[in-house]
Amino acid sequence: MAEIKWPQQRRVIGTKVPRVDGPDKATGLARYGFDINRRGMLHAMILRSSVPHGRLKTVDVSAAEKHPGFRGIYYFKRQGQEVFYVGDEILAIAADTEEHCQDCLRLVRIEYEPLPFVVTEEAALKDPGKGTVPNPGQGNVRPSGQRTVGNVEDAFGKADAVVEGTYSVPVQSHCCLEPHGMVAEWQGNNLTVWCSTQATTGIAGMLEGQFRNRVPDVKCRCITHYMGGGYGSKFIPGPTGIACSELAFMTKAPVKLFLDRYEEQISAGNRPSATATVKIAGTKDGKITAFQADIYGTPGGGAGAGAVDAYHQLVPYVYTSIPNIRTTNRTIRLNTGDRQAFRAPGHPQACFLTESAVDDLANKLGLDPLEVRRANLPTDPPNAFKKPIYEKQLEIVAEMCDWKKRWHPPGQGPSKGPLKHGIGLGLHTWGGGGRPNNDVRVTIKSNGSVLVQCSTQDLGTGERTVLAIVVAEVLGLNVKDVTSEIGESQFGRSTGSGGSTTCPGTAPAALIAAHRARDDLFDKLAPRLGVKKDDLKIDPAKPGKIVAGDKEWTWKEACARLGMDTVVGVGDHPGDQSLSSQGVGGVQVCECWVDTETGVVYLKNFWAVQDCGLVINKLACESQVAGGIIMGIHYAMFEERLMDDNTGRPLNADMEFYKLAGMKDIPEIHVHMMDMPERGVIGIGEPPTISTAAAIGNAICNALGVRVPRTPFSPMNVLAALAQKGGA
Amino acid sequence: MKNFTYFRPTSLEAAVALLDATYGATELLAGGTDLLDLQKEYVAQPDKVVSLSGLGADFRKITVGTGTPPTVEIGAGATLADIADHKDLRELFPGLTTAAAEIGGPQIRNMGTLGGNLCQRNRCWYFRDEGVSCLLKGGRKCYATDGDNRYHAVFTSGHKCVIVNPSTLAPVLIALKAEAEVFGPKGKRTLPLDKFFRAPESAEHREHVLAANEIVTKVTLKAGPRNGSYEVRHKQSYDWPLVQAAVAFDLEGGTARNVRVVLGHVAPTPHIAEAAAKALEGKRVTEETAVAAGKAATEGARPLSGNAYKVKLIEVAVKRAALLAAGAKPYWT
Repeated sequence: MAEIKWPQQRRVIGTKVPRVDGPDKATGLARYGFDINRRGMLHAMILRSSVPHGRLKTVDVSAAEKHPGFRGIYYFKRQGQEVFYVGDEILAIAADTEEHCQDCLRLVRIEYEPLPFVVTEEAALKDPGKGTVPNPGQGNVRPSGQRTVGNVEDAFGKADAVVEGTYSVPVQSHCCLEPHGMVAEWQGNNLTVWCSTQATTGIAGMLEGQFRNRVPDVKCRCITHYMGGGYGSKFIPGPTGIACSELAFMTKAPVKLFLDRYEEQISAGNRPSATATVKIAGTKDGKITAFQADIYGTPGGGAGAGAVDAYHQLVPYVYTSIPNIRTTNRTIRLNTGDRQAFRAPGHPQACFLTESAVDDLANKLGLDPLEVRRANLPTDPPNAFKKPIYEKQLEIVAEMCDWKKRWHPPGQGPSKGPLKHGIGLGLHTWGGGGRPNNDVRVTIKSNGSVLVQCSTQDLGTGERTVLAIVVAEVLGLNVKDVTSEIGESQFGRSTGSGGSTTCPGTAPAALIAAHRARDDLFDKLAPRLGVKKDDLKIDPAKPGKIVAGDKEWTWKEACARLGMDTVVGVGDHPGDQSLSSQGVGGVQVCECWVDTETGVVYLKNFWAVQDCGLVINKLACESQVAGGIIMGIHYAMFEERLMDDNTGRPLNADMEFYKLAGMKDIPEIHVHMMDMPERGVIGIGEPPTISTAAAIGNAICNALGVRVPRTPFSPMNVLAALAQKGGA
Repeated sequence: MKNFTYFRPTSLEAAVALLDATYGATELLAGGTDLLDLQKEYVAQPDKVVSLSGLGADFRKITVGTGTPPTVEIGAGATLADIADHKDLRELFPGLTTAAAEIGGPQIRNMGTLGGNLCQRNRCWYFRDEGVSCLLKGGRKCYATDGDNRYHAVFTSGHKCVIVNPSTLAPVLIALKAEAEVFGPKGKRTLPLDKFFRAPESAEHREHVLAANEIVTKVTLKAGPRNGSYEVRHKQSYDWPLVQAAVAFDLEGGTARNVRVVLGHVAPTPHIAEAAAKALEGKRVTEETAVAAGKAATEGARPLSGNAYKVKLIEVAVKRAALLAAGAKPYWT
C-alpha cells in the first residue's frame, strides 16, 4: 500500500464547517448522561465530610435505612478512618427518588473527633512542619525540587537591570458545565454506563477492573454521546462512578449519580495555585541573562501533586534558553479538595509567573516588551524549532493589533478621564501530538450511506465534525453525506482526550480508514462497473462523483452496484509523525482600559495567533481559541477558590462568589489560525487558554504603570496595587 | 429541601392568616429567587410556604398619578424587569430604574419583585453555609468579623453581625423618601423606608423590621427630585455591587436642596450618609462638590480586616451618583 498522506489540495479540510451536532445541542435533542432515565432507576447521592479534618467516631445509618425510599449504601470510609477536607466522601446512598435520597443522607448521623487543619497557603507557611494531611510526618509544606543552570549570582552582578517581584495565581476550581456523574445499569454480567467522561474506553476498562474479582467475565460498555466539558477532570470513574456502579450492582437496579454544583466546586478537581518570587536580569539589548524563582503552590491534600511538583521545571516558561536559571519549589498540602488535570496543567501558572517578570524587566530596561520576547525566543535543541514559528506569530499579531501604534511605555498611554489604556502580551507553548490506539471504522453501504465510527468522545471540541470532514474529503463527498458515531466504548480502541491529542490521534486514523474504505469500494465496484480498479478515481474537482477515464457515476449510482455487499475500511493512527506532529506556539495580546478610581478593568480587545499544524476545521479551531481565551479571562479576572482559615470551610463553592465572566465581561476576540499543513495535525484544545492571564496582567501593568501581582484582577487587588504605588 | 406545605391564597387577609407572628416555620414566597435557594441550602426550613402569586393584579401594578409632580405607587409584586423597563419611571426616577436594571441577570429580574428585593436575606457566605452556626442562625458569634470579610460592612456601628443589606433598590428609594405600605393582622400601616430596615443580630431578626405575618404591599414615592444611582462591581454581568451610592436632591435655581445620600452594600442596613448630604446641600453639583460629598460619605467608616478598599469605592460611587443625578455627562466612560 502506498503511503497515505494528507491531500495537497484540500476541498473540505481547512474550511469553516459548522459542527454537525450543533443543532442537536442547541435544540436539546442531544442527550447527555444526566438526560438518561431508565426504568426502575434509583437516585444516589454522596454524604461528605462537614469538617476539614477529623476521625469518624460514629457513622450511624440506622435511621436512613428505615426510610421507605432507602435502597442501598456504599461506604468510602468507615468508623475510625480520617476525613481530610470539607467534601471528602464518606458514603453514598441510593433511594427511589432524588428527594428521598437527600432525606436519607440527612438521617445519617456522623460524629467526628476533630483534628487540626490548615486550609490556606498563608497559614501553612506560618507553621510548615504541621502535618494535617495524609503522610503527616512530611509536614504540610514539602520541598518538591530545584534546578540550577549556569550561575545566576554572577549574572545578576553583571546585568544592566535586575527586577524582583512576587506573582501569584490562586486555586481555580473546575467548573464544567455538566457535572461529574453517570447512570449505571447491570444486565447479567454486562454493565452499561452513561458517563460524562473524556475517556470512554478508559472508564469501561477501569470499571471492569473494579468488578472483575466478583464478576469474572464482566463486560462494561461506556456511552458518552455528549458531554458538557471535562477539561482534564473526567478521565476516571472517581468516587462518583465507583459509588454509582457499585450501588447499581448491589441494588440490581439502574442508578443515577450526578454531583451538584456545590460538590463540583469542593471535590471535583481544581487547578493548583502558584506563587513565585522571581528575580530576573537582563542587558540593555533586551537579552534575559538570569532567572531565579522561589515557587510554591497547593494541589490539595492527598492526591498526586501533578504540575505543582514540576513548577521548577516549567519556569522560566517558553524562554528556555536563558543561560542562568535557579528555581526552587515547594508543594503545600492543605485540607482542601484535590487537584485534577486542568486544561494545560501547570502552563497558565508557569506562563503568568514568567511573563509577568519578563514584562517587568522590559519595563525596567525601557524596552518594547514585544521586542524583548523576540530577543529571547528558545534556541535550545528541543525547543529551537519553535523560534521561527514564534517570530512569524509575533509579526502577524503585531500587524493585527497595530502594536507599534497602540503600545506605549507603562502608565503613559491615552486616558479617558480616570480610564487608562493598556496593552500587553504573552507567549505560550504546548505539545498536542497524536497517538495510536484510535480505531476508526468507515462503512459504505449500497444506499450510498457513509458511516464513520470511533469510540472517542467529544469534550465539546467538534470531534464528530472532524471525522466527517476527513472522510468526506477522501470520498469526494460533503460533510452532510457522512454520519459520525462516537462515544461508545464498543466501537474499538481510543485514547482519552487529554493533552490536546484527540484530533491528532483520530483524524489520521480516519484518513487511513477512509482510504481503505475507498480501496475496498473500488475493489468491489470495478468488476461491476466494467472498469479496471486502477482507473477508478475520486476527483476533487468533481465532488459526489466516481470517475474512470471519461466515464462517471454519481456516488449513489456507483454504490447501488454494491448490492448486498458492504464496504469497510479501518484505520489507526500510524504511530509515527507522518500525519500528525507536536509542539505549538501561540501569542496573545490584550487591550484594556482600567478605571483608576474604582480599580475596575474593562477588557477591550484580544488578538490571538495560534498554530496547530494542519487545520481540519477552521471554524472549530477559531472557536477553540476564542473559548480558550474566554476561559483565561475567567481565570485572570474572576476565579479564586476561597477557604476560611477559622472554620476550614469553603467560602465560595457556588456560582455567586466563585465568579465567572458574563457576556458584558468578554471583549472582542480576533483569532488568526496559522495553518501549517506540512506538519500534519496537532491538537489545539489546551494552548489557547495558557497565555491569556499573562497578557491581561501585562496589559493592566501597561495601563497603570504598576504591576498588579496577583489574580483575580478585582477592584480590591487593583486598588491595592495602586495604593502601593501611592495612588493613581 | 425540607418538605413543606404550599399555600396560594387569593387575598392579603388570607395570606396573613396563614403566617406565624414570629420567624421560623412560615415563609412568604414572591419571585422565589432568594427563598428557594435558602431552602435548597437548608438555611431556611419552613413548614409552610405562602405564595403571593394568587393575589390580584393590584399587587403588581405600577401607577403614575396625575398630580404635578406625580405620586407613583409601585406594587410590591412588580418585577424588577417591570420597574427597569417602565417608561415613566425611567424618566422620573432614573436612579431607581438603573439600579433595577443592574440587579442579577434577566432571569432574576423577570422573577424577582420589589417586595422581595426589600425583604431578601443577606448574602454573607457564613450565613448562607448551613454548616456555620452564626449569630443569625442562633449561634454565638459572627464569623465574618475575624474571617474573610471582603464583601462585608464598613459601617458596623457596633453591630455584632457585619452583613451588608443586599437590596439595591432600597438606597435609591430611601434617597427618594419612599414609603412602604405594609399589611398585617391589624390591617394596613405605612412605614417610611428609612425606618424599614434593621441590623439583625439573632435568629429572631430579619434584615427589616416587619413581623413574620406582615406583607409589604406597595411602595409610594413622589416625583420631583433629581436622582441617580451608581454601583461599583467586579463583574459587569450578573454580580452584586461592591458599593452602591444613591443621591437625590431638589434642584432650586441651580443648587441642590434637601439632599439625600444613601449607600448600599456597605452596612447592615442601607446607610444614610448625612455628612455627604450636608456637603452638597445648597451647592451647585459640580465635580468639585461631588468629590467633597464622596469624601464626606466615608465619615465614620470603620473597615474590617479585609475590606478597606470599599472606603475608596464609596468616595467614587457617591461622586458619580451625584453627577448622574445632576445630569452631568459621565466623565468615566
